[in-house]
Amino acid sequence: MCRRFVISGSGKLWLTERGLPPRLKPGSFRGSYGAAEAVPLQIRNLIRHFLACLLLASAALPGCARTRPHYGGTLRIETEGDPWQTPDGIARRLVLDTLTTVDDGGGARSALAVRWESQNADHRWEFWIRTGVHFQDGTLLTPDAVAAALDETCSHAGAACPWRAAHAVGPSVIFTSDSPAPDLPELLGQTAFAIARQDATGAVVGTGPFRVTGFVNGALTLVANDDCWAGRPFVDAVEVRSRRMVRDQWLDLSVGKADIVEVPPELVRQAQQQHLNVLVSRPVDLLALTIAPDSAMASREMRQAAALAVDRTALYNVIFQKQGEVTASLLPEGLSGYSFLFPSAQDLDRARALRGGTGGSGLTLSASDTSAPMQLAAERLALNLHEAGFNVQMAPANAHQAPLQLRRVHLEAGSPRAAFDEMLLRLGQNGTVTGTDAAALWNAERGILDNETVVPLLWLPRAWAAGERVRDLRLAVDGEPLLADASVEGGK
Amino acid sequence: MKSAGYNPPQRMMDKCSSWVVMAAWVCLVPTAHAANWERPAADLAKQIAAIAGPGPARLVVRNNSSLVSGEVPAIRRLLERDLRGFGVIAGGGDSATLIRITLSENLHGGLWVAEVVEGTETRVTMLPVGLGTTAATGGPSLTLRRNLMITETEPVLDAQMFSVGGVERLVVLEPERIVTYVRNAAPLVAGSEYASWIEDQHFGIGHGRPFPRDMRGELVAAGDHSFDAYIPGVLCSGTNTGAQIAPACADSDDPWPSGATQRGFYNALRDYFTGVLAPGFGMELAPFYSASDIPRPTGTGMLMGGVDGKVTLIENRVLKPVSGANDWGSDFAVIRSGCGSGAQVVVSGSGAAAVGDSLRAYEIAGREAIALSAPLAVEGAVTAIHAANDGTSATVIVRRDGPLRYEVWNVSAFCN
Repeated sequence: MCRRFVISGSGKLWLTERGLPPRLKPGSFRGSYGAAEAVPLQIRNLIRHFLACLLLASAALPGCARTRPHYGGTLRIETEGDPWQTPDGIARRLVLDTLTTVDDGGGARSALAVRWESQNADHRWEFWIRTGVHFQDGTLLTPDAVAAALDETCSHAGAACPWRAAHAVGPSVIFTSDSPAPDLPELLGQTAFAIARQDATGAVVGTGPFRVTGFVNGALTLVANDDCWAGRPFVDAVEVRSRRMVRDQWLDLSVGKADIVEVPPELVRQAQQQHLNVLVSRPVDLLALTIAPDSAMASREMRQAAALAVDRTALYNVIFQKQGEVTASLLPEGLSGYSFLFPSAQDLDRARALRGGTGGSGLTLSASDTSAPMQLAAERLALNLHEAGFNVQMAPANAHQAPLQLRRVHLEAGSPRAAFDEMLLRLGQNGTVTGTDAAALWNAERGILDNETVVPLLWLPRAWAAGERVRDLRLAVDGEPLLADASVEGGK
Repeated sequence: MKSAGYNPPQRMMDKCSSWVVMAAWVCLVPTAHAANWERPAADLAKQIAAIAGPGPARLVVRNNSSLVSGEVPAIRRLLERDLRGFGVIAGGGDSATLIRITLSENLHGGLWVAEVVEGTETRVTMLPVGLGTTAATGGPSLTLRRNLMITETEPVLDAQMFSVGGVERLVVLEPERIVTYVRNAAPLVAGSEYASWIEDQHFGIGHGRPFPRDMRGELVAAGDHSFDAYIPGVLCSGTNTGAQIAPACADSDDPWPSGATQRGFYNALRDYFTGVLAPGFGMELAPFYSASDIPRPTGTGMLMGGVDGKVTLIENRVLKPVSGANDWGSDFAVIRSGCGSGAQVVVSGSGAAAVGDSLRAYEIAGREAIALSAPLAVEGAVTAIHAANDGTSATVIVRRDGPLRYEVWNVSAFCN
């Protein structure tokens, strides 16, 4: 019998018998069962044949045991959009971290900030920064670096930061704001406020679980950050193939060339019918019509007429294939519990009455992206408005000067109050919530919607299809896949 | 001579009493449910009366929540009764006032919304309401029962009871700290034999390098001090100073206890044991997630759950594959129940975490794992299973979402 002495780091001596050294390089363990080595070749072939049959038989069985995630392998993802786009580009989330994260219950949890405290009636917040965290280029994360990153974010045109100033003081970052910001910890969990810096080459680096290594043949490659403060991710690498049509993504999934692909809401039912393994989020994208309160739509009555003219049910039933929910609220029903209080039914008679008999000048309507369902939805809205007597012409996608805009607004927050504030920021609205209960929020929302410059239409989910080798894939509160926690079969 | 056709008097009494209990249960359960809604119904009625004022009104109640529809009539009756107490008489079909109550639900639980419609004016009032949950289990020859010990918002790796200075304490191991609790007089769950706990002490765990993402840890009773806490790359020793605990933590790659006589080296950068045991069994072993001693007819064996998903048994220094364990999760604990062969393996079950996990007790007969209990449904994902210090039950950690929390359950096996 072969015996071996092992000295652990603490200096203690441990006696093992034919053991492997305990500090082998991770992932290099290739131990085989000693007894199994003695099994004759014919029996092993028989066992292999049996196992092959068993594998075929088990293909029809439901999922296997829940085991701990395995390490290793590459996860291949395909998307239609830009993986680096703000705020929800899939690669941004892999590379960058935020001060907090939002859990399933909508609460803020510590990330790059370990704790926080509100002062001066929520006008001043102090966030203590985690120590010992490094950017992927080796630079230490400091409160100064955090404050600089947030300043950079807020300096961009169109950036809406819910604070007036952020500056480093000792081990923490202090945020000050003119109005109370009770949900700042939740808002700082949004990817728009991720902490980034530029390395010596000008490349963006973060503290996240993956770092970018290159862009080859249309695929962005990211490798695991072994020193990630939250623990190394389970897969060794992620490949993001962007700007892929959904049809091509599904084809790649079916032939094993992709592991995770997008499923637009209108195709969720089809994906399920094709027996794809589909993960559907709660409603996280608000489809809304925004109306510029000027020229032809300067009067509230005209805007109200437009709001009453829209047929949400047709959008829901026909274009988005009954996914998500019909809404006239800025928050999904599951989050607020009161969205049914905002009437969503079409009322053409009242719309015509409010609009009056005036001919009015022509209006243009533009969708915020070029996708087919958004264009179809915009055309249907134009038809609804025509029925109410409006003279509406379709404008090309992203025509920002069009007074009527069909927008898809993403929601990251998980609590009603933070979600409300986030929607106001994203829609460029101002509002104040006086109170902490649901009724106060409803009152504040009513105040915004009464202005009729935002007409919520549908809340839509996000969905992804995963291949058979993907394990432990979950979606974040905002419907994005949590890739750092996923693993692939065949990893170590 | 006693006729075999008659039951003895005691049995008759038993049966009779069981029928009485059952009848009482059938009668009392709806009452008990209704009692749950007494307070919210009274509160909402008060709020409605404040905005509607006394007088007749049409009352419409609809359910937009996860409440079972059978509960709605009882809630309506309560609301009618309470509104009457404030002078609002529900039921006037031609009344100009409409009170529309929606039993809704949001992220935090129930939300009852009342709309008081008078002409073109609508006034709204809302009331947050707690929603309760229940669970029940059963099994063929053995029943697993669980008792909630504590719920934490931070991840829990292990929780064990230790006596320190004559005071029984619940020690909870989290990734970044060790928390001790002392008993509170009031139970955590009504009717539970387990007490609730009050936080007594907490200690931070310093560590030089990041912890792995799938974090694991174990609390083990120590001979010359209270306990040792093993977490990847760190060993904490809990020593008692009088009635208090004073843990001392240091970086360490010492092997973790794997049964009474073996210790397993843990890969501090991953989530498994390397396969190296000290003193070992004289054979090379593959990396494994779990290992535990298990009584065998020939002595003590070691049950191992491999990283490759295979379960093996080391008995008399021979490695044997265990069949019937395909649907086992990675974690298990061997407990002494006194049922069957006396020792059972409590394992986490199969299925995606999204639809809930399960626990089940098995016995290892020969080389085969035989299920002894029905699966015990778990609302959430089982993240760890450890044998309790006394070996008669298991500590099971369950992660639950919405809101994220970690529940520590004590799971015991009872003979049927």
